[in-house]
Amino acid sequence: MSNHDQEKNHRPVKRNEMSRRQFLSYTLGGATAFMAAGVTLPMIRFAVDPILKKKSESTWVKVVEEAKVTNEPQEFKFNIHQIDGWYVSDPEQTAWITKDEQGNYFALSPVCKHLGCTIGWNTEKNNEYVCPCHGAHYTMDGKNLSVAPKPLDEYDLKVESGWIYLGPIKANTRV
Amino acid sequence: MLKNVYNWIDERLDITPLWRDVADHEVPEHVNPAHHFSAFVYCFGGLTFFITVIQILSGMFLTMYFVPDILNAYKSVDYLQHKVAFGGIVRGMHHWGASLVLVMMFLHTLRVFFTGSYKAPREMNWVVGMLIFFVMLGLGFTGYLLPWDNKAYFATKVGMQIAEAVPIIGPYVKELLQGGDIIGAETLTRFFAIHVFFLPGALLALLGAHFIMIRRQGISGPL
Amino acid sequence: MAHGHKSNEKVIYVGDSRVRKPKAVGSDTIPPDYTAFPGKSEAFIPNFLLKEWMVGCVALVGFLVLTIAEPAPLGYPADPTNAAFIPMPDWYFLFLYQFLKYPYASGNYVAFGILGVPGVAFAALLLAPFLDTGKERRFYRRPIASSLMVLSLFSLFYLTKVSWDHYEHELALTNTIPEHHLREEKAREEWEKTQANGGVPVEEAVVPIVDKDDPAMEIVKANCVACHATDLKGNEGAGVPALTGVGDVHSKEELVEIVTNGLGGGKMPAFGERLSAEEIDQLTTWLAKQKKAE
Repeated sequence: MSNHDQEKNHRPVKRNEMSRRQFLSYTLGGATAFMAAGVTLPMIRFAVDPILKKKSESTWVKVVEEAKVTNEPQEFKFNIHQIDGWYVSDPEQTAWITKDEQGNYFALSPVCKHLGCTIGWNTEKNNEYVCPCHGAHYTMDGKNLSVAPKPLDEYDLKVESGWIYLGPIKANTRV
Repeated sequence: MLKNVYNWIDERLDITPLWRDVADHEVPEHVNPAHHFSAFVYCFGGLTFFITVIQILSGMFLTMYFVPDILNAYKSVDYLQHKVAFGGIVRGMHHWGASLVLVMMFLHTLRVFFTGSYKAPREMNWVVGMLIFFVMLGLGFTGYLLPWDNKAYFATKVGMQIAEAVPIIGPYVKELLQGGDIIGAETLTRFFAIHVFFLPGALLALLGAHFIMIRRQGISGPL
Repeated sequence: MAHGHKSNEKVIYVGDSRVRKPKAVGSDTIPPDYTAFPGKSEAFIPNFLLKEWMVGCVALVGFLVLTIAEPAPLGYPADPTNAAFIPMPDWYFLFLYQFLKYPYASGNYVAFGILGVPGVAFAALLLAPFLDTGKERRFYRRPIASSLMVLSLFSLFYLTKVSWDHYEHELALTNTIPEHHLREEKAREEWEKTQANGGVPVEEAVVPIVDKDDPAMEIVKANCVACHATDLKGNEGAGVPALTGVGDVHSKEELVEIVTNGLGGGKMPAFGERLSAEEIDQLTTWLAKQKKAE
């Protein structure tokens, strides 16, 4: 559009020849850019590597026998294998595992969605998950009742030959 | 837009003369390789600075992964070199840059020496330049220990023995550098602090003095 | 680089200096700019800097090629007990390292070796402008300063070369490959394995010690752990293999042979005289059981 407008107020063609100084300045700018890029690009790629790294496929961890899980949420501890850069460890994780009325198992993460404290079950005798820090409450399914903005996270879960296996954490699918 | 921002700042701080002085000064014919090819010997100072900039940048990026601790230093260097993309290149830049900066500085020093450019009124700049040389050697020495491999450990041991052999102050210097009786955890953190904070700080101050003096005195005339 | 102005051997400092200087050239008050002198001077930006940047670009490309072609060396983790390692300082300290090996620079004379020669030389270098105070700048008209510098350069190169040759000679003598080469080779193999595995790193399974309570363990504790480590994982850096999983590598007959007669020219000592035949049999039977769990 703007091209069109310019053509309307037609002016005699003025050849804009580059001065020697301008040419040198542009070349200098180009050379500077080349050097800056040559030096910093490998370093930037190096720094952003954690973002671009292929996420390792999570593995299933055998946690507890199916028979031990009841309709009442229970806390189970298990160890995951974690590779944190050069630091390899097997940190302990906690899951609250429950069987619902249909007989499906589900496992909730104990990390409160409000500010990351650790929740407990039924500590106020009202059959709810309670966070001791700011009094967030959740139902048995992990639905947020007060304070917290989101329901509790859930672990991927599968049952194989009588054992419950837990996988990675995902957003709650039950509420 | 950018021009307006620049003008706004310039009105208040009058920054134009600062960079005008650097940008517009005339460079004489005798250092210009376009006129006399032999003038390429005048490039080594600039190249030293360029590689120093590479050293500072790559060093900054390396500390994103490096841990100065005897249990983790080797593991973290091993990790960043072999597991992080471009880690080998960034560490390579820092490693080879360290050698190259010394080579360039050596050549620059020889140029200044053999053209007699250190003579009055430029004596102070020569002394500052030599101090930069010593700081660079110190950076090389302290940087060598950081990966905490056998080479680092034993080379530092040799260096410490040389330091200890200096009469009177030697044993104190050694203990101060080591931070204890043996080359170990305390040595590594000390060397890290010296390599990353103390010497680069000194280096920047000296480089600043070097460049200001060059601008004040101009480059030495033709022979 | 002779110039138009009178070359009467008097040093004339020119430059766009703002340092006041005596009336050598031009006006007394305003320091002259290079534009005031014969010769083709040019502006720093963009004309001259562009030329310098061209050199910089070439240097940068060369530098990047070097870093890609030649990875920075990394050996095995520092092990103060490693006696096989030949220590070497960085190349730019080699001259000093070598110098301090000479008779009058070591032993009782080490103070002289450090302060007497390198100390004086570095101090002289630092204070060169105050020692060489003549007006003459051309090196061939400053014979003392120039010849001292040439002599120092010669000794620097000579000492560095001698030191390096000695190192290479020692490597050949002890039949050692510098460990960062070995380490690099291993890293490359690991990388290839990772690539073959679709970019996911392969984790080395930890091989446990099989049958820990076997009485042969007592023989192991008494004879083997000094080199092969208490967890029997060996010492990679010193070239001592792990005993865990050794059953996958050698058969029992081979193990008997190795234990009895040693291996690698005495690196693995011969135990034929120290242990009885029954003990060797007991030990190798147990070693042959050291296989990776399936």
